[in-house]
Amino acid sequence: MVCFCSQLNRPGQRHWSIIFSTASRERLKKKKMPFISKIKRQTDYNLFPSSTPIVIDNGASYFRIGWAGETEPRVIFRNIVQRPRHKTTGETVSIVGDHDPALLKYFDCTRSGPRSAFDNDVVYQFEIMEYILDFAFDRLGANGSGIDHPVLITECVCNPVHSRSKMAELLFETYGVPSVAFGVDTAFSYKYNQQHGICGQDGLAICPGFSTTHVIPFVGGEPVYRGSCRTNIGGYHVTDYLKQLLSLKYPHHMARLTWEKVEDLKMEHCYIAPDYFSEARLFQKGTKEAEDKTRCWQLPWVPPPTEEPPSEEEIARKAAIKERQGQRLREMAEAKRSSRINELENELHGLGFLLRQLEQVEANDIPSFLSATGYVSKQEIESSLAKVTQSLRKAKGEPKSEQAEVEEKTEASMNEKYPLIHIPDNMLTSEQVLNPKEPKLKKKKKKCIIIAIVIKLLLAMVSIQLKEKRRQIFLKTTTEGRQRAKQKRVEEGLERERKNQEDEERRLENPELYAEQMRAKYKELSERIDQRKRLKTNGSHTNGNNTSGGVGRGERLNAAQRERMRLLTTAAFDRGKGEDTFGAKDEDWQLYKLMSRDNDDDDEGAEADEAELARVSSRLQEIDPKFVPKQELVPPQSAAEAPRLRPLTKEDFQIVLGVERFRCPEILYHPNLVGIDQVGLDEMTGVSIRRLPSKDEDLEQRLTSSIFMTGGCCLFPGMSQRLEAGIRMIRPCGAPINVVRALDPVLDAWRGASLYAAKLQFTEQTFTRMDYYEKGEDWLRRYQLRYTL
Amino acid sequence: MEAEVIEAELVLPTYLSFKRVQMYEKYPKGQSRGRHWKHLKQILQAENYQNYPPDEPNYVNIESPPSMHPCKRLCDMTGYEAPYYDPRTNLRYSNAEVFKLVRSLPSEYVQRYLALRNAAVVLK
Repeated sequence: MVCFCSQLNRPGQRHWSIIFSTASRERLKKKKMPFISKIKRQTDYNLFPSSTPIVIDNGASYFRIGWAGETEPRVIFRNIVQRPRHKTTGETVSIVGDHDPALLKYFDCTRSGPRSAFDNDVVYQFEIMEYILDFAFDRLGANGSGIDHPVLITECVCNPVHSRSKMAELLFETYGVPSVAFGVDTAFSYKYNQQHGICGQDGLAICPGFSTTHVIPFVGGEPVYRGSCRTNIGGYHVTDYLKQLLSLKYPHHMARLTWEKVEDLKMEHCYIAPDYFSEARLFQKGTKEAEDKTRCWQLPWVPPPTEEPPSEEEIARKAAIKERQGQRLREMAEAKRSSRINELENELHGLGFLLRQLEQVEANDIPSFLSATGYVSKQEIESSLAKVTQSLRKAKGEPKSEQAEVEEKTEASMNEKYPLIHIPDNMLTSEQVLNPKEPKLKKKKKKCIIIAIVIKLLLAMVSIQLKEKRRQIFLKTTTEGRQRAKQKRVEEGLERERKNQEDEERRLENPELYAEQMRAKYKELSERIDQRKRLKTNGSHTNGNNTSGGVGRGERLNAAQRERMRLLTTAAFDRGKGEDTFGAKDEDWQLYKLMSRDNDDDDEGAEADEAELARVSSRLQEIDPKFVPKQELVPPQSAAEAPRLRPLTKEDFQIVLGVERFRCPEILYHPNLVGIDQVGLDEMTGVSIRRLPSKDEDLEQRLTSSIFMTGGCCLFPGMSQRLEAGIRMIRPCGAPINVVRALDPVLDAWRGASLYAAKLQFTEQTFTRMDYYEKGEDWLRRYQLRYTL
Repeated sequence: MEAEVIEAELVLPTYLSFKRVQMYEKYPKGQSRGRHWKHLKQILQAENYQNYPPDEPNYVNIESPPSMHPCKRLCDMTGYEAPYYDPRTNLRYSNAEVFKLVRSLPSEYVQRYLALRNAAVVLK
């Protein structure tokens, strides 16, 4: 694996330096990228006579301008315009080309992305074109009142006349150019290389460009556009594909993957595999070759400061602090407890004192005496006394057997409290009603002669007695119920103990079998619980594709849920004809109970199962050292989130380019991979030859023996071999195939144009403003440059 | 404007001597500038290529036809050969581990992978 880091030196010039490689310890030389911007203002504009044409290569990627007859264009820059706002002054300015990002910090670039004048490879935005031409002429050194030189500008193949006329208009009207000529960049490149002997007079020119790829056959030195072919895929798509793939693979580092950076990555590392699937298989198997071919980009990363493991003293100190805290807490609890005991004792003394006083007082004076103290009757005092003694005992921490005694005492008193229950209704007298807690107290009652009043009173009292009796029955049943529950619990405890003992015996006699049984039971229980859980949460793992809230495929499968659906639909839609008689009967509302989701799963069963599971798993943990309780099924997190759970390491900040290296340029040969339904490079030659107007075997052979590649994209390593292999597949056996590459695929178009414009006959090929206005659009449509002069 | 910005000559000057009509005259401020440019589709429509003989090469008829070769089936995530595809998400995958990843992707990522292939569901 080879690692590298990036540096940005000067505007427009980017160097890569490879810092170390694990596979082979070689230091590779610095590579210079083919695209360099030159935007220094030229000073010799005035030295050129008016007849010297200005040559412009207006490409979708770069704009190159210079003088005719020279070998290098004077000014080169990226064909984009940005219109940001200056942060302090607020004015909107135009910035052409790509510039040092450090200087751009003074501008607010959020709303102004780089804009291009091109749509596919046709110029359509002439305002942006005008900015670009402004900048270009300005840097060429133009001053004075107008561009007084003929201009040769490149365009795409079969440029629509609308674009052509707008461009001509721009040049004539705004810049005052005397005459203009339009040409195709591929043709210029071909002619240039033909003169240098690279390709013959007949040949096929293949130009994978920035946004499109063209194949143009040349017969007799002239391009035959009828046989040409264009696919809308180019370097831009390759870069975009790479960018998307890396962003999806490394969503954390999306901010670093700018388009320019990805373009640099592409130019540095991408290559074309001779056969895609065999190369992919290498990577899939993980062979050493694949390892060598993988490149890894280490982003700057600072490791977090490592914590040292706490030393001995630290641990001891912390333990001492904890001990001290514990001690303090214990002391506080102790103090609280003793103060409470004191309080209770005081209260007890006070109550005892009160009772003794009460005994001394006469019966009649009791209520008045008691009203002063706040208690209503003697019984109350006694009960509160009992309570206090009980709580005192609890605070002192006496054993529970005493409590049982106390309970028994209370039971006895309870029996006393419910005397009325046993007395049948008709025997209740007013005495017992009015004083239910004091059966022994006598009341002096004078015998009344008025029997009617007595009878009435008696009747009223009987009803009150009934109420009282009912209350006592209720109280008794509740307390009895509580006692029964307690008893049951005790019994259950005994039962469990017994079962555990049995278990132990079974285990002791046959440990292996026991363990097996336990494990089987555990597995079954856990499966059952899982299944229930799954049904509850709509079927399988979350996929994110169940967009509609409740109704997903998982829901429909469950029988209960199907039933619910059925009920819903019948309830909602059944009453078509008559009136809606839904709510008339009470039973109808039971429908909602059936439909209710909560009733669906048998909660009882779930709880019992889970309790059982817990018990079994604890048992297993005890007896089987190898057993590991199955973890809760964590909902699967997205691949993006998972790495965050562990501490970030150096590897997280590496971007690995493995398969992407040759997957991205593959789209030039298979545009289907990005959804563009057109032929790739190798098939395009076949299409082009088929489209030729004349079917000449000989011509075809001549064409294929001189296949010429130009354009920025043909700089990928491995391009020629792949193309040759591809073309061999579609040509008849034994046909001569010879693939050549331009001397400088990037600049040759400009050079060819420059050479062309330097010829004397060039002026015949241009058209002037007068021509443009007189001859009209139709003529402009048919205007074609003749390349052999 | 800061000194270094001026020195670098980053900004395009508003007045250029060789121009007959300056930008600010052509596109006065306040008016909607340049939004009336026709896009390629509209340009091609306006060309009316059907009026001209079909032999003549024009922008539309030199376009390439669809491919005759069977389309390559690549795994969407790893790039290996992928004979299988997941009917729920329509993504292609090459083996079982990749399938696990595919099933665990959130919907947004699924759509982005599909968009690479131009197979995403586009709601207009």
